[in-house]
Amino acid sequence: MDIFLQQLVNGLTIGSIYALVALGYTMVYGVLKLINFAHGDLVALSAYIGLVIMMQLIGVVSSKAVIIIAVFIFTAIIISIFGVLLERMAYRPLRKAPRLSAVVSALGASLLIENGIMLIWGPMPKIFPASIVPNINWNVGGVYISLMQLLVLVISLILMIILYFFVNQTKLGAAMRASAIDQDAARLMGINVDKIIVTTFIIGSSLGSVGGLFIGMYYRGIYFNMGWIYGLNAFVAAIIGGIGNIPGAMLGGMLLGVFNAFISGYLSSSWALALTYVLLIVIMIFRPTGILGERVAEKV
Amino acid sequence: MLRKGLLGALALIVTLMFGIQAMAGGIIKIGVQAPITGKFASEGQSIDKAVRLIVKQYNEKGGILGKKIKVYTCDDEGQAQKAAVCARQLVDDGVIAVIGSYTSTCAEAAEPIYYRAGVLQTSDGTSDTLVKHGYWTFFRNSSPNSAEAAFTAEFFIKKQHYKRIAAISDYSTFSTDLTNAVVKDIKKLGGNIVYKGKITSGAQNFTPILTKIKSFNPDVIYFGGYYTDGGLIRAQMEQLGIKADFVGGDSNDNPEFIKLAGKAAVGAYLVNVPLPQMLPYDTAKKFLKAYKAAYHEMPASIWTLFNVDGLRAILYSIEQTKSTNTKKIAYYMHNKLKNFPGITGPVEWNKNGERVGSAYMAYRIGNDLKYHIVYRH
Amino acid sequence: MMGNKQKILYGGFLLILIVLPFFLNSRWESVATTFLIYSSVALSQDIVLGRAGMFDMGHAIFFGLGAYSTAILNTVYGVPILLTIPVAIILPLVFGIILAAPIVHLRGDYLLVTTIGFNIVFTQALKNNVFGLTGGPNGIFGIASPSLFGYSLSSQTAIYFMAFFLLLLTLFIIRNLETSKIGRALHYINEDSLASECVGINTRFYRLYSFGLSAAIAGLAGVVFAVQFSAVSPEAFNFMQSVLFFTIVLVGGPSSIEGVLLGTFFMFVLPEMFRQFAEARYLVFGIAMILIMIWRPKGIWPAKFGRIPKYFFKD
Repeated sequence: MDIFLQQLVNGLTIGSIYALVALGYTMVYGVLKLINFAHGDLVALSAYIGLVIMMQLIGVVSSKAVIIIAVFIFTAIIISIFGVLLERMAYRPLRKAPRLSAVVSALGASLLIENGIMLIWGPMPKIFPASIVPNINWNVGGVYISLMQLLVLVISLILMIILYFFVNQTKLGAAMRASAIDQDAARLMGINVDKIIVTTFIIGSSLGSVGGLFIGMYYRGIYFNMGWIYGLNAFVAAIIGGIGNIPGAMLGGMLLGVFNAFISGYLSSSWALALTYVLLIVIMIFRPTGILGERVAEKV
Repeated sequence: MLRKGLLGALALIVTLMFGIQAMAGGIIKIGVQAPITGKFASEGQSIDKAVRLIVKQYNEKGGILGKKIKVYTCDDEGQAQKAAVCARQLVDDGVIAVIGSYTSTCAEAAEPIYYRAGVLQTSDGTSDTLVKHGYWTFFRNSSPNSAEAAFTAEFFIKKQHYKRIAAISDYSTFSTDLTNAVVKDIKKLGGNIVYKGKITSGAQNFTPILTKIKSFNPDVIYFGGYYTDGGLIRAQMEQLGIKADFVGGDSNDNPEFIKLAGKAAVGAYLVNVPLPQMLPYDTAKKFLKAYKAAYHEMPASIWTLFNVDGLRAILYSIEQTKSTNTKKIAYYMHNKLKNFPGITGPVEWNKNGERVGSAYMAYRIGNDLKYHIVYRH
Repeated sequence: MMGNKQKILYGGFLLILIVLPFFLNSRWESVATTFLIYSSVALSQDIVLGRAGMFDMGHAIFFGLGAYSTAILNTVYGVPILLTIPVAIILPLVFGIILAAPIVHLRGDYLLVTTIGFNIVFTQALKNNVFGLTGGPNGIFGIASPSLFGYSLSSQTAIYFMAFFLLLLTLFIIRNLETSKIGRALHYINEDSLASECVGINTRFYRLYSFGLSAAIAGLAGVVFAVQFSAVSPEAFNFMQSVLFFTIVLVGGPSSIEGVLLGTFFMFVLPEMFRQFAEARYLVFGIAMILIMIWRPKGIWPAKFGRIPKYFFKD
């Protein structure tokens, strides 16, 4: 039983990171109907930038809590700027172009960021300092939980709740939902769709940067090309939940993390990755709109 | 369109007729197939530099059999697909022997091409399958995985007396083969393997598989992959409260392992061949001095030195047989060459092209985060 | 049909390809051979992606199935290379139809995502050494050279001409497709699948047909690939490779033969030329991909489908 619970905790930790990253995919898809392939690489970039900021602060500031909070805030700001630049330079000029042109542009942006990271920081992994989050472990009835895991779970949850209320209760959130349903109609209602798209990229990139920092602080080793793995997994999570659907991305991320943990824990670690994608294929065939996505009639 | 097709066929026939190249006259050509760029660039470049250094030393003494030696280098980037292309290129260049490649996969992908062309090949590749094809052209200049595996198994059973052993590898050829061999040898010595599994290199989150392993209650976890994953596995073992020992295969031997594992690195064991500086032989000291004088740095790793021994043995055999006939040279190397004084110890080969003897050690990472030898032959 | 200008263009292009190997050293000859193979795969990908308009991002599967069929039959069962060709064509064809059957009705992005999924499952299966045949992560080594009338075609030039014939055959098939009933049907489906269904075109049949055909060509290209490298490994057919073919078609110009050939040159040969810049080249590449899409959203050399008379447009 404690093995089961331990796997659940493992799965939820990595799952909440997937969820944070998946939100970026799903929100952009919602308003632009574009798979933002470069999002995963922004996540990787955020880990590198976070590390740089952290190393700068470690000598100057003594309080670890202050360092961590500062790293999160500054990284989120920088990555948001990158996200907005990405939209402005690679996606906005292509809004009227064929759908696939934007996909290629996204792939190009992904290549650009990934190799940019490698040119600046080199191909070998970079390592986060071990002592930044105190290495505290609790043994709860045979289930081990670390302080870092708890932080990941709690902060992700808080961010997702804030996002949920932002989208559903605020004026900007309503505008965002309106733009996702029908851009032209939203424009006619006086919504500045361009502004909404920029806002989407800012929120998506900031959430992604939190995910990237968690990866760095929890696993410590970061790689220039890790964006692909996390990006793809988060993307699958977004689809499981129903792409374009915000609570769906959260649920999808958690489910994917737990699914992965149980597959490698109970079936076979060699086939875990393959089975994740088999699940994806099955969902696509039988319920392409995902778990929470509504079945909408195809617009003709 | 048909006419163009016929023209193509004609061109093909013409090419075939000219395809057979005349053999070289006044010089002896040696090839280097190594990853000059890519992930293993530093290792590949080091091998290339070392080969050129040895050849320069020979040429300064007037060459070999009165002929100068010329080196041809081909970059296989550490990719199997490029390796075969390189092999074909070097064969076209007319080399009689090739040093390389650094990785087992590349050496193996190139092997049949050298064999068919009758070109000698010596590689540091550790994969056991390299000598299983029965190619008379292939000579391994390092110790195979099986030697490391046998040593590891001995260390596990005879020194540490582990009772419940878990083993993990990643998906690479090298890691899978090594881990399989370790498991096999442990079983041979009567050890008890409670779990065997694979991780995806670079996945970072190894807690699911480690949690599963924990349920088997092992007293040691063996990892036969690379330090980038090994360090994280060690750290996550501690996070999950797994009390078992950790033993890493040779590719965990990297300073980054300690950085990744953090405090958890203390008490981890690593199995590897000695560092270049630790070699006791005179030839080794002389070569390292010459290398340092020529390039102002040390060779990338001991693997460079293994390859140098392969090259030296081949050149020595050419001198002894007074021939550039590769069949004669190979016969000499298989049967006559005994106890050739190498940089990495005495060199000789058995009938399969397997180098005889090995020099593995087990280290423990102490509280000072330094290596301490705990077991050797 | 081909205009005079096009005839000269194609004739010149093929002539250059025929004399090319006699001017190249062995390294560039092997690059040229790979160019021919990749061009064929990209052209076959274009049948699904450009002509039938299905966002297939898993084309490396069929390429890989062909290459692995040849590799396994040759190394395990000792079948001569030329005799493995039927299997290397039929197996991808059957797989193409089986995989496509449940998904061809999916719209754009969903199809794209599903094919990515297929590709990852495929590579993972190869790495896990399914049925003990695929050789696991290191793949399969030591694939023999084909021999014809007792002559072993093992020189790089011989393999170059094999790849040349492959491209010739692919071009021939695609030219025929363009002018056939099937080609026109695919074009209508791509333009407006609902409308084409309404006028009685069996969209499902034609979509499966295009998947099957393109898988078969990719499988044949796989044979030449296996011979060229005398080794196959899962990395050569992974998702990134599919992304490469996908990008080649879109950067070059969907449904445009000239475009796809140019795309292959741009995405494969150019990076080889700039090898000395090692890693920086891919950074430049990313930028180039974005810029090309912005300046020429329909590709470098877009397809032309006859001009629509001016009076159709209001202003």
